Amino acid sequence: MAHIEEHKETQSIQKEKQNYVMLDFGKTPEYGLPAFIQVVRRSLSIELLKGLGVTFREMINALFRGKMHTTKYPFEKLPIAPRYRAIHEMLRLLESGHYRCIGCGLCEKICISNCIAMETKYDENQRKEVSEYTINFGRCIFCGYCAEVCPELAIVHGGRYETASEQRAGFSLFEDMLTPIDKLKEQKEFAGFGSISSNADENIKKTPLAY
Amino acid sequence: MSVQKIEKNFITITIDGKECIGKNGDTILKIARANGIYIPTMCYLTKVEPIASCRMCVVEVDGIEGMILSCQEKAVEGAVVTTNSKELHNQRQNIMKLYNVNHPLECGVCDKSGECDLQNKTLEFNVSNQNFSIKESHKKVENWGYVSYDPALCIMCEKCVRVSNEITGNEALSVSVGGYKSKIVNIKNSNCSSLGESAAVCPVGALVNSDFKYSSNAWELKQVPASCMHCSSACSLNYEVKNDKIYRVTNNYEFSSLCGLGRFGFDFENKNAKKDPVVFREAISAFKRAKSIRFSAVITNEEALILQKLKEKYKYNLVCDEAYGYQRFLNAYSSISGASLYSGDLSSIKDSDGIIVFGTRVNDDNPMVKYHITMASKRKRARVAYFHPIEDSNLSNVITQFVKYEAGSEEGVVALLASVLLNNHKISDDLKSFLDNLDIGNLSAESSVGEEELDYLVKSIDKKQKLTFIVGSDLYNHPRTVQIAKILGAIEKYSDFSLVIVPPATNALGVSLICSLDEKTEGYTIGYNAIGDFELSSLGYGDMDMPALNQQEGTLTNIDKRVVPTNAALSYQGYVLNDISNELGFEAKYTIDYTSMLPVKAGYKTEDFDNLPDFFDNSGIEHRGYPLTSESVKVVENFDEIEDLPTYDGAIIYHCNENTNISVFSNVTTAFKSNEFYLRGSPQFANIVKIKDGDDIKFNINGIKYQRVFKIDEGMKGTIAINPIFDMDLNKNQNISYRFNHLHREQ
Ligand code: SF4
Ligand code: SF4
Ligand code: SF4
Ligand code: SF4
Ligand code: FES
Repeated sequence: MAHIEEHKETQSIQKEKQNYVMLDFGKTPEYGLPAFIQVVRRSLSIELLKGLGVTFREMINALFRGKMHTTKYPFEKLPIAPRYRAIHEMLRLLESGHYRCIGCGLCEKICISNCIAMETKYDENQRKEVSEYTINFGRCIFCGYCAEVCPELAIVHGGRYETASEQRAGFSLFEDMLTPIDKLKEQKEFAGFGSISSNADENIKKTPLAY
Repeated sequence: MSVQKIEKNFITITIDGKECIGKNGDTILKIARANGIYIPTMCYLTKVEPIASCRMCVVEVDGIEGMILSCQEKAVEGAVVTTNSKELHNQRQNIMKLYNVNHPLECGVCDKSGECDLQNKTLEFNVSNQNFSIKESHKKVENWGYVSYDPALCIMCEKCVRVSNEITGNEALSVSVGGYKSKIVNIKNSNCSSLGESAAVCPVGALVNSDFKYSSNAWELKQVPASCMHCSSACSLNYEVKNDKIYRVTNNYEFSSLCGLGRFGFDFENKNAKKDPVVFREAISAFKRAKSIRFSAVITNEEALILQKLKEKYKYNLVCDEAYGYQRFLNAYSSISGASLYSGDLSSIKDSDGIIVFGTRVNDDNPMVKYHITMASKRKRARVAYFHPIEDSNLSNVITQFVKYEAGSEEGVVALLASVLLNNHKISDDLKSFLDNLDIGNLSAESSVGEEELDYLVKSIDKKQKLTFIVGSDLYNHPRTVQIAKILGAIEKYSDFSLVIVPPATNALGVSLICSLDEKTEGYTIGYNAIGDFELSSLGYGDMDMPALNQQEGTLTNIDKRVVPTNAALSYQGYVLNDISNELGFEAKYTIDYTSMLPVKAGYKTEDFDNLPDFFDNSGIEHRGYPLTSESVKVVENFDEIEDLPTYDGAIIYHCNENTNISVFSNVTTAFKSNEFYLRGSPQFANIVKIKDGDDIKFNINGIKYQRVFKIDEGMKGTIAINPIFDMDLNKNQNISYRFNHLHREQ
């Protein structure tokens, strides 16, 4: 989940005004003698030490001042863009905690590689219950159609992109993809492919209410 | 038909600039559809009278002010009709807007989604938002057994009500009017499986099958066209399949119907059948050893032909208990009528305005016959005379005259009928002298069919245009069956009645035409879905597995004398009969290779299975397989003297299954499986047998022991109790005995 938040930061940085500065490198020598003179001048001045000084400063910063710039994958991971399409997640309704999927079967129908399989039934409360739901990730091409077609924003793509496994076919069950009930509070609204636009509220037409 | 008559019968109208020919009296909509012109409708259902509740079908006719409902307006010669214009479109769009007011936004879960008329037309007429609303009230889903009703989704088209009134005759549904609070009510609190017929026509997801509800989306299911295997109507249906499982049965509800058993009793397949070469070798040696083959009439024509060929080669005794009596009856009938097949069929029943039902408890024996009688009764106001020893309350709404006769006296009854129905008709001398010699008074007294009842019958069908005589299973194993069949043959031959001899089991007619049957088995016997020393079973009970009829392709010969194709809906891994016959010296790659070899002499055609059509066209004409041709048969008119009619006094048992559970095959289906075997009788029966409701009763008929729980049926009268035999017929040769028997109790 954390990556989504971080990503939002990146976005906001990008929105600030950009400040480009043109560096003055002087004139590039064009023939023999001036070039030779430049080399001699540079070798005899202290530019070498300046460069080494920068390296040394950054080393001190990284090692002792906590300003390391490389990520220690796999212990650390970079944030993933919200539009990145990795292993699916099944979201829950925030109010009731019930899974959002209504079992409409549209994802199953649209899936281009036929890797979603589901069963539904009539439950005791006279509602449609999703009794089986699997995705075969050995076949999934992460096209995102399922997330796009889902009318309930129930199936979305998450950020789990490490899908290497020992076997080609790897299934994921509904329960595995579903937001754990104790993590419900941390469930973030999906911002990627197929999600509602940020100005969705403005586009809603209200039904005239006679009462 | 003369040229003049053709001219009079047909009219020409112009629809959207196209010249269309239709029958005189047809509605504009009907002519348009038959000519492939589309007029949108929401409430129109071809098989019932126009309902005219939706107004979607409006058209403009030149020279007539305003818009006209094409579904109920009869076309007149030369009319110029426009089916689409700006105004018509607006009108239809407005109707769709109204239908959508407060319609729940639940297509996502609705069973109907993908095949919903409301969805389709909403898109077609581009209704993208809701401009009006109305105060919503909570509407509760109601469960009516096999179907469930959600009033919130209902668009009040009334199709379901019409079907329950006009087709199934169940008359359970009715409209409760109240503006936006209108809904359909189940006035009889009926749980009857025939409500499935109403659910089938519902254009939205309001009335749906409970067992199917929410279990699959329509578009995930593959439709396998087939014929119902439960009874001899062999109705056209689709098994809807996903992952090698049948989810539901649907049909072309515009033009045809299904009974509850056909619609909900579909999972009788032989599961887990495997090819076991050891068993196969045993089967082959059993066939080599056998002297007889006994089989059930729930079999395809092709398999029947294979058995017949085996008989010809190996001189087996070929025994089919269900079809034997029927074959004998049909032959006796032919010897008088001169035709190999009876003349009537289901559609002639539907079109009749005078019907006599005799020797069958028709509602239970063949629900499709009952549906067609209901249609005749509702649409043609048909007079329906029901002759039977037991009154049937399920028929009370269609019957105009119930004539009760004594069990066993069928020969007398049919002779009495012949004497009144053939009166004033030109008949042969033999027949005349036979009829003249009848002792009417005596017959009437012994059968207790009063002469005034017969007079009333004759008077009531006088001036009726189209008459049908329906006879059934009580007669085929009657001790005097041949004589009864002959008299019926004479009635059909010399009167205006067409006759329907209802086949007693799924393919009894096919078996009768294809096989030369023997009465009894002898020696080592192979049983194919029947008792034998080596049993082949489609239910998985026997020594070797056979495919059930939803696992194999082939043809059936149905009550309409039509050869109808059926296809395999589910996979089957075991051996089939064709494998055995190939081992025994025949050669055919598939069972259906035999389709083109069905006996031409019996009226079949040399048509390949793959060429058999299976559809209804736009005007509702059935193109399923082909109709048999009735061959002419040599006539030998001789009638026996009528002996004294047998008397059946005291407590009598009548073998009869209820229409939802008619055989071992229906008794394995999830919907109708039952372990409760009730003997149902009237309070009077209870009285004379000295038995109480809920008591166990044991009795013995023709050496077969029955153990039943007695149940008092307040709706019944008299001293005859009804004994279901759906649990017995593969094990005991039930169908060879007359259906009425004295009760011999065992302690
Ligand atoms: S991402 Fe594409 S291929 Fe994968 S499950 Fe969704 S629709 Fe199917
Ligand atoms: S599209 Fe969404 S709501 Fe429909 S079945 Fe798939 S996950 Fe569930
Ligand atoms: S009845 Fe039709 S329109 Fe209504 S919810 Fe069901 S599918 Fe949708
Ligand atoms: S239940 Fe269905 S068929 Fe019956 S009135 Fe409602 S919409 Fe029409
Ligand atoms: S189809 Fe004519 S009014 Fe509904």
